[in-house]
Amino acid sequence: MSATSTTHTRNPSAREVVVTGIGLALPGVATYGDLLGPLPGKGGFDPATGLSGRELRHKDRASRLALRAAEFALHDAGLTDADATFTGAADSTAVVVSTNLGNADSVCEATDTIARAGVMGLSPLGLPQTSSNVIAGWVAIRYRLRGPNLTVCNGVTSGLDALSWARNLIVAGRAEAAVVVGAEPANGVVTKVLGEQSTDAAVAVVLEPVDAAASRGARPRATITGYARARNLAAALASAGVTEEQSVGLWLVDEAGAGAGHLLAATRRIDLESQLGPLSGALGVLQCAAAAAHLESGATGNVLATAGGPRHDATGALLLTPWPAIRPSTQERGQHP
Amino acid sequence: MTWDITGMAAVANIGASPQEIFAALCAGQESRKPLKAFDPDKYRAAYAYEIDDRPKGGDIPRRATRWLTTVVRQAAADAGLGEDLSQVPVLVGTTMREQRSLELWWRDDAEVALEDLHFGTALKAVFGASTTYTFANACSATLYALGMATDMIDLGMADTVVVAGTDAATESGFGTLDRVQNDIPDALRPFDATHKGMLMGEGAAAVVVQRAGTGNGPVHARVRGVSMNCDAHHATAPDPDGITRAVRDAYSRAGVRAEDIDLVMLHGSGTPRNDLTESSVLRHIFQGAGAGPRMTAIKAMTGHTLGGSGLLSLVMAVLAMKEGTVPPVLGLADPISEAAGLGLVQGSPAAGDLAIAQIDAFGFGGINAVAIVEAAR
Repeated sequence: MSATSTTHTRNPSAREVVVTGIGLALPGVATYGDLLGPLPGKGGFDPATGLSGRELRHKDRASRLALRAAEFALHDAGLTDADATFTGAADSTAVVVSTNLGNADSVCEATDTIARAGVMGLSPLGLPQTSSNVIAGWVAIRYRLRGPNLTVCNGVTSGLDALSWARNLIVAGRAEAAVVVGAEPANGVVTKVLGEQSTDAAVAVVLEPVDAAASRGARPRATITGYARARNLAAALASAGVTEEQSVGLWLVDEAGAGAGHLLAATRRIDLESQLGPLSGALGVLQCAAAAAHLESGATGNVLATAGGPRHDATGALLLTPWPAIRPSTQERGQHP
Repeated sequence: MTWDITGMAAVANIGASPQEIFAALCAGQESRKPLKAFDPDKYRAAYAYEIDDRPKGGDIPRRATRWLTTVVRQAAADAGLGEDLSQVPVLVGTTMREQRSLELWWRDDAEVALEDLHFGTALKAVFGASTTYTFANACSATLYALGMATDMIDLGMADTVVVAGTDAATESGFGTLDRVQNDIPDALRPFDATHKGMLMGEGAAAVVVQRAGTGNGPVHARVRGVSMNCDAHHATAPDPDGITRAVRDAYSRAGVRAEDIDLVMLHGSGTPRNDLTESSVLRHIFQGAGAGPRMTAIKAMTGHTLGGSGLLSLVMAVLAMKEGTVPPVLGLADPISEAAGLGLVQGSPAAGDLAIAQIDAFGFGGINAVAIVEAAR
């Protein structure tokens, strides 16, 4: 037998996993439907007023952004009641967070404080955010979500990777639902790391098996159909099951799409980062939200999201399709305005 | 279903291979050293369990990455995989990622890029690996990664997965920990009445996990099941309910009962909160389960190696089962009352016929993972 293996990221017999809720805490983007138009637009999340409140006190900025996005997504999914208490299966709901720079400010500022004043200058309240999984911990605590709790810090593909791992946790039977959050704060440390100004960005989506969503009357927005993290775009598309016959109607690109004009040439393309600035760990989850907007708009074709490329360690690709009950062939335009 | 462990590697303060580390644990010589990583004048804690490989004159970036690529190479070689991992997923669990490099970049202008923060960049450069993941899952990260590796094999996504973990001490982590510990520990003394808290260690570990029967070489041990959950209770303190659920779920996945467990590799971080919670939970779990398993806690000698600590405990469990020997808990003379009746190994190694081991790993954010591993015979 071969000692090595090829990775197969599509498993046709697996339970289909759908998006049932979307929440944004993103300046300049009021609703996820706006992601298909010119950005930034009017309105959207205002960090100056939106990040206050008792439950956000003593938390790092990335966690506060993520908590807001999760709140909106769970409400959108119909999984919270009038008191914002979680009403789903808390014991088997997973939290999966994608972030690359979420606690970079906490880490760097702590070193400045130590240099200036020694350890006694530090605040004991800063302990949680020394660990990169602080965001996922706070989201779980807020909604008492006791399923698997995962933080993916995997470079530019992180958001797409997080969605795929959330799907894996559901398909493997470890979770009945998952809240996937992409979160990156804007601050001086992040600007210096990225080499340019970024925006506060948090986006959350709720994933559930399609049968569970149907039985509780939830409205599916998209199906997570294929995924791969591979050495280049062509390999990622092949492993994710993206073929010419797949009829991709929208390609959410980043730089990976730039040099690949020969692939899926006729497809509409949207580069969220060219409009909103660097999104890092939030990108893939925001692409998922944009995909849902496309699929709900009644526009034709599936949605491909890609991130990474030659300047990075890999290319990630995620294929999103309409929810199983309504395939493009039977879907009427304008059915889901 | 079980999964084969066909390759293993580890590095820590007390050794550069699983065998060296296991021998040092059995020898039981004090291993803490005066803090060298950072300016000791800035800290109250005076000791740590560092890997002493910094050049003279200061710290350098990417030490955690270097240990990681070393243990991945060694584990892959042990499993007969070679150095081309282009078709093999690599799952890395970590607490700090390369945040020590971020600190050196911020404070000292070290050459560090955004792409160095996650480990896929180095795994691509060294092994041609692309299906790589960095999971920042605090101190349960590597057992979480192990569980997700078994899921990948189950779901038909791969036949072979490398699971690894690495962490270098960070100033922000070491410093904030120092700040919050009221009574500063001068050693990590899990379950002893003198325990005061946690001190950081440094290290990395890796295993190759394969679909049962598909490897080329000998099987070191078999993974029977891995649980993962979250307390959703407190940002940094453990919760007995969450830990109990994690242990019971691991048994259920593995198809074992408490009385089947021969060895427990404790999380044993030496903080009074952890030791009290973990021993209370285990006393309850093993009540009425016969004589109960042997238990040990390797952080007494390695320090808390953070993300990789769960996998390092697992690798030591595999050697303990092979050798029929359980290393003692260094410095354990007077166990806390909550640990009364637990089979903590004290003083010198204990001999025994060990077939099934339980490995505990609990992390910040209340995230727990428990693995059950069976000797390969």
